Amino acid sequence: MKLKREFADFYKEIRIDSETHALKEKREILEDDIKSKLPGILVDHNISISKTDIRMIDQGSYKYNTTIKDDIVDRDVAVMIPLDTSTNSDPRIIKGYLRDAINISPRTVAIKEPCVRASYYENGKEWLHIDLPLYATDGSCVYLARGKEFSNSYSWEDADPDGLNDYLCGQINGNDQLRRIICFIKKWRNEQYSGSTNDHEVPPSIGLTLLACDCFSAQSTIEGDDDLLSLQKTMKGILDKFTYTADSSGNLIKTITKYLPVTPYTDVFKKMKESSSYITTFYNRLSKAVDNLTNAVNVESAHDAGEYVQKVLGDSFTVPAKEAVAASAQNKREHSFG
Amino acid sequence: MTVKEILESYEEITVEEQVLEGVLFFTLFEKKFLFFAPEKDDPSSMATVYLYDDNLLDFPHVMLRENSIIDGKYLPNGTYRWICLFEQESIVNTIVSYEDKIFDCVDRLIELLSMTSVEREREFQKEFMYYWNSESAGNNKVSVYLEQATQFTELDAFYGEKKVRLIQKGLNLSDIDDRDKSERKWTHHIENDVFYIPVTDSRGILPPHRGYQWTANEVQNIVYGKQIEHISDDTFQSIKSKVPKTQDVILVFGMRTDLSNVYFALKVKCKNSNNHTLLEKLLSDIVTLESLPTERKDYSYLCEQIGNDIGLLNKRILLIGAGSLGSYVAFELVKNGAKYLKIYDGDKFEEENVLRWAYGGIGKGSNKATTIQILLKLLHPEINIEVCDANISAHSLMEEISNKDLIIFTIGSSDEQIKLNSVLKRANCPIPAIFVWLEEGGTNSHILFVNYQMPGCFECLYTDSNGELVNNRARKNSSAATENNIIRNGCGGTRAAYGTAILLRTTAALLDVIRDYDEHKIMTNTLIDITPERITISDTEFPMEACNCCGDTGK
Repeated sequence: MKLKREFADFYKEIRIDSETHALKEKREILEDDIKSKLPGILVDHNISISKTDIRMIDQGSYKYNTTIKDDIVDRDVAVMIPLDTSTNSDPRIIKGYLRDAINISPRTVAIKEPCVRASYYENGKEWLHIDLPLYATDGSCVYLARGKEFSNSYSWEDADPDGLNDYLCGQINGNDQLRRIICFIKKWRNEQYSGSTNDHEVPPSIGLTLLACDCFSAQSTIEGDDDLLSLQKTMKGILDKFTYTADSSGNLIKTITKYLPVTPYTDVFKKMKESSSYITTFYNRLSKAVDNLTNAVNVESAHDAGEYVQKVLGDSFTVPAKEAVAASAQNKREHSFG
Repeated sequence: MTVKEILESYEEITVEEQVLEGVLFFTLFEKKFLFFAPEKDDPSSMATVYLYDDNLLDFPHVMLRENSIIDGKYLPNGTYRWICLFEQESIVNTIVSYEDKIFDCVDRLIELLSMTSVEREREFQKEFMYYWNSESAGNNKVSVYLEQATQFTELDAFYGEKKVRLIQKGLNLSDIDDRDKSERKWTHHIENDVFYIPVTDSRGILPPHRGYQWTANEVQNIVYGKQIEHISDDTFQSIKSKVPKTQDVILVFGMRTDLSNVYFALKVKCKNSNNHTLLEKLLSDIVTLESLPTERKDYSYLCEQIGNDIGLLNKRILLIGAGSLGSYVAFELVKNGAKYLKIYDGDKFEEENVLRWAYGGIGKGSNKATTIQILLKLLHPEINIEVCDANISAHSLMEEISNKDLIIFTIGSSDEQIKLNSVLKRANCPIPAIFVWLEEGGTNSHILFVNYQMPGCFECLYTDSNGELVNNRARKNSSAATENNIIRNGCGGTRAAYGTAILLRTTAALLDVIRDYDEHKIMTNTLIDITPERITISDTEFPMEACNCCGDTGK
């Protein structure tokens, strides 16, 4: 099997196993601030909730254990409060209350479309942000507060954060190869989109994770898991999910749709579709990655295969020495000791 | 091909001036190098490369120190930094052709300069201690003694002449109270609390090197990493709860990777702050850092470094007999990982035996066990040898087995061995005993492994199928051969003539038996025959059902 050790080393290199203590402490202080300050702010606006009514749930890669190293630590924690959404129909206002509860130095807090973001800086550089999607539980329904602070577009959107967690944990937990493949695909995305400035042009992690789960191809031999073949087949499977659609000028362009497997069953690539070029770029880059991985699978030499994989996953993937060089070096190695 | 032709065959290389035959400059990746070809008339020589006039490049294997030429006769003035491209004695140069040596050297240089950041990090970590100790301050070399390296722990600092020992609390070093005349060799210093911090994830941790010095950030990144957790939760909780008593502290970090195993110390000077925990101190009080030249020196680490049997480390071994065989066995047990021995022997070391005594001429006229104790302690201060300068009695044997893990008999007397075997069997001895003896004649020897919970004991060898006592049935030498090898020196004194080969052979076989026992490969009581040709399970009938000690009759 080619590149077994290189893939294992690469996974060790990019993987984040758990929250650091620095992150955990920041998150816990943030959660304490929410629980201690938000009820008072809400009461001032005639919304009565107690500290124990507030529920926090882990979301995102830390929940699914698919976190990889990145320039900025990105943590997602959902905040759920009981709320009458018909009386409090404007989620932007409730998100404002959450912002006010946590807007304490050294945090920088901003209202984003799907969440409230607490950012942490050191020496003028952001090193961590904790995204806090705000959910309202109203009767038996759960709603996500959507909308930027001053945007005209806002809504309480049907949601099922627990259901999404259950779905993804059910898919990933106990399937170590799938977990690795998700990390590899996210690393590929980070490499390919490292220069991006617009969030919407980058394929979202949730989209890549759901597609990886759908298209995952388990591959192993008697030597163990074959991550190269699994990655190639999984990414090829994702590529095959693209379909043609016609743009406003009637040109055929590639597109991809992936609906959330739980309420609200929306398309996770909807934002990317705001510009057809984003999806086209996604397709082209994915297509190139699949070509490189296919070449890596097909070439005989581990060195050549490594070079193809490095084009996909970046410099952190180490290329093994050329076989002739390695064999020659082995033949001339000193085997004696005095 | 000439050197120049070989170098010019690389697209990346531009050959510049040739200084001497086989010595020339070339540029590669915009850096200038001085290349020395291997010597044609010396097959064991190899090619060498120096980086020329570049003080900034901070690649692994490009040496930190430079040689300056200011009035060059053959070489231009400037600075030259040697590039270490070969692990020491890693290649049999004689079998590599002159041309291939040059190709290999250039290939390695290109590979080195083409490394990705991850590869560079791995190479720096492989050479971590070289960089750490090269960049460290002070003349006092720090020796670290740990009992374990996986948990946060506190250490004591002892200062000697130009040396500092940082010793895990509770770890006893036998020479720590030694004196030079009236002066103590080691003084306990309490002005700095010392802590050992094991690193569990080494990603991103680089040694100081050219253009990169450790600051508070590096320490803070280890104990309070933002993205990567470098220490375990237990270690973090310890750092978070521990309140140092001193303003400044010394930290020892231990870091294990696939490629290296490193331990490095640094002194952390802090602001005066009362009641700050160690974590608070490290996060907010650091003023300066001083890296200290460090070596880990404890016995378990040294054993691990040379591939010793770690299973022996915590075994308490009772060695009965410190004669020729016992002296070899004691020495090799300690060199192979056994740091606790208790030795019994009432004999004095006589000059006639000097050539087959493991320690040469030291200790003539002294008690053998005591001499061994003195000499073994010189090997390492953690080695703990207890001795009794008398032959072991049945009573002492019973006391000893209550706190030992293994008994080894290296006494020649069959009577003593039979007697003590019987004591152990009657006591249903819970620990195994290994009887080791040489046959007269100096050719054959034997090892008998006995677990007293199973059938078979030393007396079985002296018992026939009818339960009658006979002489040792394991004996391979004929009586005539034996008789020829006995030297008589009057008054009934005899000495069997044998050289040290049998002692070395038997001791090596004993070490293998102990390892096999430790790895649960010895499942039954076993007799082993050792000859110059081979080491085999004996064909002597064993155990004997009719044995009066352990067999049916004995029951």
